[in-house]
Amino acid sequence: MNRLAGRAWVTIILAISLLAGFAFFIVEYFIESEDWVVFSGSPHVYNGSNIGCGVATDRDGVLLLDLSGERTYSSSEAIRKATVHWVGDRKGSVSAPALSHYSAELAGYNVFSGLYNYGNAASVATLTLSAQVQTVALEALGNRKGTVAVYNYRTGELICAVTTPTYDPDNVPQIQEDSQTNLEGMYVNRFTQSTYIPGSIFKIVTLAAALETIPDIQEQTFVCKGKLTIGDGKVTCEHTHGTQTLKKAFRNSCNCAFAQLAQQLGGEVLERYCQQFGVLDSVHFDGITTASGNIEAAGATEVNMAWSGIGQYKDQINPCGFMTFVGAIAAGGKGVQPHLIDRISADSFDTYEAEAETGKLRMSHSTAQILREYMRYNVSDKYGDENFPGLQVCAKTGTAEVGGEKRPNAMLAGFVEDEQYPLAFIAAVEDAGYGSEVCIPIISRVLTECVQVLS
Amino acid sequence: MNYVSAILDAQDVYIRVFIGALRWIAPVLAFVLLFRCIKSLLTFRREPEIWAWLNLAGGRKLSVTHWENVIGRSKKSDIVIDFAAVSRTHAVLTRYDDGSWLIRDAHSKDGVFVNGTKISAHALQPEDVISIGGVEMVLQPISRRQEQRLAQLRTKASSLMSGFVNVFLLTVFQLLCCLAFLLGGEEGTAQSVLMGFGGLMVLQWLLLLFYVCIRRTSYEVETIAFFLCTMGMAAIATVAPEEAVKQLIAVVMGMAAFLLVGWSLRDLERAKKMRYVAAVAGVAFLLITLVFGKEYYGAKNWLIIGPLSLQPSELSKVCFVFVGASAMDRIVNKRNLLLFIVYSAAICGCLALMNDFGTALIFFCAFLVIAYMRSGSVGTIGLAVSALGFAGVVALKIAPHALRRFSSWRHIWEMPLTGGYQQTRALMCMASGGLLGLGAGQGWMKHVLATDSDVVIATIGEEWGIIMVLMLILAVVALAVFAVRSAAVGRSSFYVIGACTAASILLVQTILNALGTVDVLPLTGVTLPFLSNGGSSMICSWGLLGFIKAADTRQNASFAVKLTKKGVEDTDE
Repeated sequence: MNRLAGRAWVTIILAISLLAGFAFFIVEYFIESEDWVVFSGSPHVYNGSNIGCGVATDRDGVLLLDLSGERTYSSSEAIRKATVHWVGDRKGSVSAPALSHYSAELAGYNVFSGLYNYGNAASVATLTLSAQVQTVALEALGNRKGTVAVYNYRTGELICAVTTPTYDPDNVPQIQEDSQTNLEGMYVNRFTQSTYIPGSIFKIVTLAAALETIPDIQEQTFVCKGKLTIGDGKVTCEHTHGTQTLKKAFRNSCNCAFAQLAQQLGGEVLERYCQQFGVLDSVHFDGITTASGNIEAAGATEVNMAWSGIGQYKDQINPCGFMTFVGAIAAGGKGVQPHLIDRISADSFDTYEAEAETGKLRMSHSTAQILREYMRYNVSDKYGDENFPGLQVCAKTGTAEVGGEKRPNAMLAGFVEDEQYPLAFIAAVEDAGYGSEVCIPIISRVLTECVQVLS
Repeated sequence: MNYVSAILDAQDVYIRVFIGALRWIAPVLAFVLLFRCIKSLLTFRREPEIWAWLNLAGGRKLSVTHWENVIGRSKKSDIVIDFAAVSRTHAVLTRYDDGSWLIRDAHSKDGVFVNGTKISAHALQPEDVISIGGVEMVLQPISRRQEQRLAQLRTKASSLMSGFVNVFLLTVFQLLCCLAFLLGGEEGTAQSVLMGFGGLMVLQWLLLLFYVCIRRTSYEVETIAFFLCTMGMAAIATVAPEEAVKQLIAVVMGMAAFLLVGWSLRDLERAKKMRYVAAVAGVAFLLITLVFGKEYYGAKNWLIIGPLSLQPSELSKVCFVFVGASAMDRIVNKRNLLLFIVYSAAICGCLALMNDFGTALIFFCAFLVIAYMRSGSVGTIGLAVSALGFAGVVALKIAPHALRRFSSWRHIWEMPLTGGYQQTRALMCMASGGLLGLGAGQGWMKHVLATDSDVVIATIGEEWGIIMVLMLILAVVALAVFAVRSAAVGRSSFYVIGACTAASILLVQTILNALGTVDVLPLTGVTLPFLSNGGSSMICSWGLLGFIKAADTRQNASFAVKLTKKGVEDTDE
């Protein structure tokens, strides 16, 4: 009998297996239950195909969307149009994953009491956007297609991000083929999903790479004769800039000078620095993953490589990615990732609170310092500080040739050097003309509005 | 009139407050109840019973503490005689129900001699001199008076009072559940809910009363079973209230099976005879199903008789335990295992034909447990081979059908509409319920298929919380650990094997069902003991509980263990 009693451990093994398996489940529960609870078939959380609970407001508490029932949008058409790409429409035509990313929080879920509190008090998601700035930015863009965005490079708050063409979710226009070309692509959030040929704003990248790699680059001078023959091709400037320092060449946005810089760097180095600076990387925030950029300088012919250093050839940037890069320069080499959702609160306590997510170190502090100085010089000496009253703006314009019969895309990227208003911005306007002519007035208005909202 | 409308207005608030409070009260009450039961099951002192002494020639006295004792040189023998001439396992000394003793040679080298004659088996008479390896000894059974004194000295299993308190706590728990369903459940279900929970209350008090009549005081195992049944009833009340009465009838039948198994085991000789009946019945159940059965979800394991739908394979499990359990004198004789292997193969064949993967798995685990307990060493080669053959048949015949379930395992979120349908909903609902649940009748899981059998813990998790599910699991584990602890003081290997195998089956079913539901294991469609809606499963669970109860040798604990002649009560102070 003693022997037999000794053999009874086989049953204990089964008991331990059961306990171990259940413990495994409990661990999984604590890690993953937030995903389980918002499973797309859950009648607890969803109302049809959309998340069916909670309220979304802008940074000042202006209602953008009440998710319950049939969804109630802002009563202002302008606000509806300016924010539909972030809060989504009723049919889910727009990819607006930020709110559903937090559907568990919106439903009042927590790992302890599950959804027991659901329905007792509506959760409020406060977006970092300002409805006021959004509408101004939308107005400033007018009928042109493109995107304008501003974010706080210290905290990561996305204060403004509009994309056009847009539409009213309460009155969705019927798209007919051929006819309404001005609505083409209205479901696309250009800020996160599109890529653009950067044009001269990419010179910031080439300049940064040169500053990091070529020790005497600031002592060099660059001669511009209006055009530069490289191999079987050539790089041209609109004017002949003559002999310039690096700082002047950047101010002049001299293609010949930057072609020479690109040649000094070489395609591989340029690509490597693109990678180090993270210019082309996707940005991830609040369930959103932006498009990534592109460069094919390595292995390109000499002249194509030169054009690549000027932001043409096969260069592509995503507005959000580029804005984040510029923000990193403003912040001294190490930037902050942007975010859209500031906090989610239920019953006056926060179920989610955004934290400034510091990105990687993109460049040395001294390089960032020189870039800021050069970009500041662009504004003070060329674009005109009078466009940005009361603000120390550093920027670079771009006029990206897109080929075909279209006018160039107008680009502008930069930031405000001011600890009270640490704002980085980007504007990309399609088929518009010169960056300085088109984008500066838009950013001027938007920044003024931002300052007003923030103070 | 204003008062009336005010009261009606306030009603909703009261209901919400009550359901909110019950979220906390229910797990606390369940915890206290289980803690009380489990504590006494897991901490009882294992006092050996003494049935006889072996008086050795030199004046040494060896106590005989079981009904079946292995005599040998090995340290693991029950009676150790450390002489070179004694074989490691030399003989088996067995006591019978009537108090008579028998000694049997266990293939020893030098043989067993009684009064100078070499024997293979011999019914011992008083004064018979046994010689083992040259050591002479006389068996001196304890007298009736000594027997009574020993019983008196032994600690009683537990006080009757404690049993009453437990059942009282359980009744309060059931009343609260009942009230919660009446207030929060769907309309028109009140009668079923009252019948279901009320019936359970009546049954548990009746059984306790019966125990009082036959002077048994231990009620922990039964209380745990009734607690599990209560939670099963809670799942039915929300998913299929109209089946509450059916389930109640199943509990009654289960209790009958429990008493029947216990009664059979009360007398070891009767139990040994019952083995043959069980053996025939076990195969017969499966054969009948094979011939007349209906196929559902790919497995042909249902038998429809008029309004009744039965899963005879559930009943076969109980029979299988009967067949597998064996007395020690047979265990030491290895040839006996062969018969069991053949029998297992026959069962396996039937299950293969029925395509019932889950049940086959349970039988396979039960087979392994029995085979290991009987053979000792981690298995002779023959055993391993037959196990492999068993697994092989299962794999070859049933795998293609079962593989489809396996393909979704750990990938349920990739196939939420096909292979992962039940599990994804189960996890979603369990997460919705959180640790304390949404409240009785407030869940959504009821709209998913088979929520009161296959994925019943999700229903309970959603409405009663994951803490409650954890307690259900702990309750089953406690039953198993109790069976194992009792093994050390088991009277006969028949009881020990029976209890451990029964506990193992309960564990395996819980593992497959609960862990399958939460996608830790593949979902196999096995029922959860005591909880799943289904009569056959309920009968099987109670039947298996009978084996566990039979191994409980604590004084005055188990109805399946006879009291010392005339009982202790007679000589009580």
